[in-house]
Amino acid sequence: MNHRTVVRWLHVAMCMAALFGLWGCGEDPAPVSAPRPGAAPAPPPRANLPGGILWQTNDTDPIYASPTAVRGGTLHEALLSFPLTFRTVGPDSNSSFRSAILDNQLSLIGIHPNTERIIPELATHWAFDPDGRTMYFKLNLEARWSDGHRVTADDFAFTLDFMRSKHIVAPWYNDYYSREIEKVVVYDDHTLAVVAARPVPDLHLRIGLGPTPRHYYGTLDADFVRAYNWRIVPNTGPYQISDFEKGRRIRFKRQEHWWGDNLRYFKHRFNVDKVVYTVVRDFNLMWEHFKKGRLDTFGLNLPDYWHVKSRTEAVRRGYIERIWFFNDTQQSAQGLWLNLDRDLFRDPRLRYAFAHAMNIETVIEKVLRGDYFRLEHGFMGYGAYSHPQIRARRFDLDKVTALMTEAGWRRGRDGIWSIDGRRFAVEVTYTLEEHTPRLVVLKEEAKKAGIELTLRRLDPAASFKKVLEKKHDVAWMGWSTSLRPQYWEHFHSDNAHKPQTNNITNTDDPEMDRLIEAYRSSLDGETRARLSRRIQERIHEIGAFVPTFMVPYVRQAYWRWWRLPDPAGTRHSNNLFDPFNSATGGLFWFDAQRHHETREAMKAGRVFAPATRIDDTYKMASIR
Amino acid sequence: MRFRLNPLTVQKIRRFRSIRRGYWSFWIFCLLILFSLAAELLVNDRAILVHYEGRFYWPTYGDPLPGRTFGLDYDYETDYRHLRRHLAAGRGAGWVLMPPVPYGPYSTDLRTDAFPPFAPSWSERHYLGTDTVGRDVLARLVYGFRIAIFFSLGLLAANYAIGVSIGCAMGYFGGRFDLFFQRVIEIWANMPFLYVVIIVSSIVVPSFALLIAIMAFFGWIGITWTMRTVTYKERTRDYVLAAQVLGASHGRIILRHILPNTVAVIVTYAPFSVASGIVALTSLDYLGFGLPPPTPSWGELLQQGWAYMSAWWIVAAVVGAMVVTLVTVTFIGEAVREAFDPKRYTVYE
Repeated sequence: MNHRTVVRWLHVAMCMAALFGLWGCGEDPAPVSAPRPGAAPAPPPRANLPGGILWQTNDTDPIYASPTAVRGGTLHEALLSFPLTFRTVGPDSNSSFRSAILDNQLSLIGIHPNTERIIPELATHWAFDPDGRTMYFKLNLEARWSDGHRVTADDFAFTLDFMRSKHIVAPWYNDYYSREIEKVVVYDDHTLAVVAARPVPDLHLRIGLGPTPRHYYGTLDADFVRAYNWRIVPNTGPYQISDFEKGRRIRFKRQEHWWGDNLRYFKHRFNVDKVVYTVVRDFNLMWEHFKKGRLDTFGLNLPDYWHVKSRTEAVRRGYIERIWFFNDTQQSAQGLWLNLDRDLFRDPRLRYAFAHAMNIETVIEKVLRGDYFRLEHGFMGYGAYSHPQIRARRFDLDKVTALMTEAGWRRGRDGIWSIDGRRFAVEVTYTLEEHTPRLVVLKEEAKKAGIELTLRRLDPAASFKKVLEKKHDVAWMGWSTSLRPQYWEHFHSDNAHKPQTNNITNTDDPEMDRLIEAYRSSLDGETRARLSRRIQERIHEIGAFVPTFMVPYVRQAYWRWWRLPDPAGTRHSNNLFDPFNSATGGLFWFDAQRHHETREAMKAGRVFAPATRIDDTYKMASIR
Repeated sequence: MRFRLNPLTVQKIRRFRSIRRGYWSFWIFCLLILFSLAAELLVNDRAILVHYEGRFYWPTYGDPLPGRTFGLDYDYETDYRHLRRHLAAGRGAGWVLMPPVPYGPYSTDLRTDAFPPFAPSWSERHYLGTDTVGRDVLARLVYGFRIAIFFSLGLLAANYAIGVSIGCAMGYFGGRFDLFFQRVIEIWANMPFLYVVIIVSSIVVPSFALLIAIMAFFGWIGITWTMRTVTYKERTRDYVLAAQVLGASHGRIILRHILPNTVAVIVTYAPFSVASGIVALTSLDYLGFGLPPPTPSWGELLQQGWAYMSAWWIVAAVVGAMVVTLVTVTFIGEAVREAFDPKRYTVYE
């Protein structure tokens, strides 16, 4: 996984955490071990390219930009706060603005956002070594740094030196680039190999490095953090910071003759001339700025903004358009996690009955305004790794009755199922106050099914502790996502019945262990995907997880003069007006004629038909 | 003889009755409590009386009656509002008598065509509208009042039991005992009450009794100081000395002689303590550190009202209810203070 991808995924995980009160796990960005001392910045010796390399490229996957897109215009965006530095590593660099810089720093290869196959970025060709840990790359001869220097193989070797240097004060990167990547081998100026520390599945996701300009940095020293705080480092992407006013705004300008303009997957993209980020320190104020036309787009994912606040004059008059774009990207595993070590949940029939007693559909319909969708299982949106057919158990009183009666339980005088003096009463542990309305409705509905829920809201730390120590009955929570499903931590018996592991259901199933071990040891994508789907079936059979909600879409408002391709984004787009992202960004363009027309109409008081576009090209099959 | 009222007390009661504002407030307050005790009959989603196929049912108290009892096709508790419409439409022999407010504090009234909160509506019998989950605001207010008032009375009892015993002992024994407890109280009073509550309620979910215990843990200090002072004064009075000379035990002197003479102070403080107990619980609930959801609570309603300012009926209802309750209690307190004021009977020269 290259620097940019690591960052992007961490960022996604953090956003998800902020949205749903998730607990981030999996790839932990916390310092893991002490940094390795910085390596000497001398260029590595040249080696000879081994024979028999099978070069591959990809010039056949569909393009997703619109050929009708035209260049020009300025996109105005807002930032909640000014970044503390323009460095992308080291202290204070982990702000949300960092992605704007990193996205303009291309990697060797990219991933096609619709087909998920490898596509060229800085490399034109690549090849896999049979050892399972080495990839060879041929660089694009056209590739240039923004300062005009050629991008050479040595710049990738320097990435390793740079990331391992103690002077950048970034222990996590020090560690990652030391432990995961063994070396970069330079064969000539345009041919190189990247070698991972050990064979890993999805090798290409881990070692598609980005280059670092050796000619610019030279030798790093202890002054690095201070010296490079506000430096604009040469990059390889289409835009670069042209000027900035600290605390106020940052302006990006498109490079006049960008070397990537004619690449198959970059053509007709990155269309605006300038991108201006202005600091607006309040979310509501941003909305006001947008309504005044000082910002070009605004995210409407929050129900309040989509349903209520965006009923404004400019929207009614058609000056501002709205889009609801469904994507098909990794969904957080949110739901109710049953503790199988509790007596009640030892019997699978009681687990199934519990699932059938959860009226998630009513909550979605009546509390969440139909804005959320039912999560069918814990790993939706992982492409071939996701099972397309599994459906979560639906609210069904007859099934509850059948299952409970079969298990020998009877409804007590209070209407709750009971057996030998025990009642089907469980405690649900949760953290966010905003989730109370959902749980209150679930509780009332569960009572109809004869199950009593006791709601226990604890503060996040206390709740996390309780759940990790497996002292809960049922935990109401979600996990952050990763590139591929992670099963071992959640479902392997190695992690069951002991505190401080992520197997919070205490799933302890020999069949599951066998599947997970096979999944972890396999290097073949197809086998892994098949095993992944089988594991998801097994999770469903065990029934310790009751999936609840997902938000598989992005909603945005934009002024009428902005145009989007058709379909408006890609399978993995989570912002249709992302100006820089090399995989999903830069698809929109500025329509000067419509801009003129709209401005005139606003002056003259003429109106257009209000436009709300719903794009369900990539809507998941389960919610169609 | 304990039941024979002291002529002084009779005089005080007469004086209290003569202060009309406080006197009537007292009755209103008692009525509110009585009313809240009978809340199940007045504000409930269970019917008061059902007549079905020649039989009478009283579902208010006792176990829930499944829908099948009344010929409906489900096993969970009967939805009496639905049953009433069902029977009224002639789909069964019988009738249903619902309480004036046919909603319980937990029942959610969700609709297919709109999203809560719903505005007050006479026809839906949501007299004060619903909250953000579709629960009746009036029902939440009534049941919330019952919890708040009994919480506050429980807290009062706990605080005064501790405060009066320790305060009396400090005042009566004096000396090292007094000095020791003075220092204890000084340290105690410096503990940040709110932080402790936050810490405790983040570790365990507070129950009714636990919350009283936590609050009493800090609440006994005020009355202790007062009782200490009052006891100090009484101890040197002639009647106490006389009792000591007669050989009365410490217990007897404190309980039979000093305590009855300090009752005036305790009684004067009590109504204000009740008011502050209600406010304390409401603010804890508002901050989310009080009783766990979905317990009906004023603080939680206030929180919702703040988050949904456009649903004015939520915040209006809870603020209105708080003002009425607190004003009533304060009026009672003032009247009691007035009635027990010794100045009326003392002439200073």
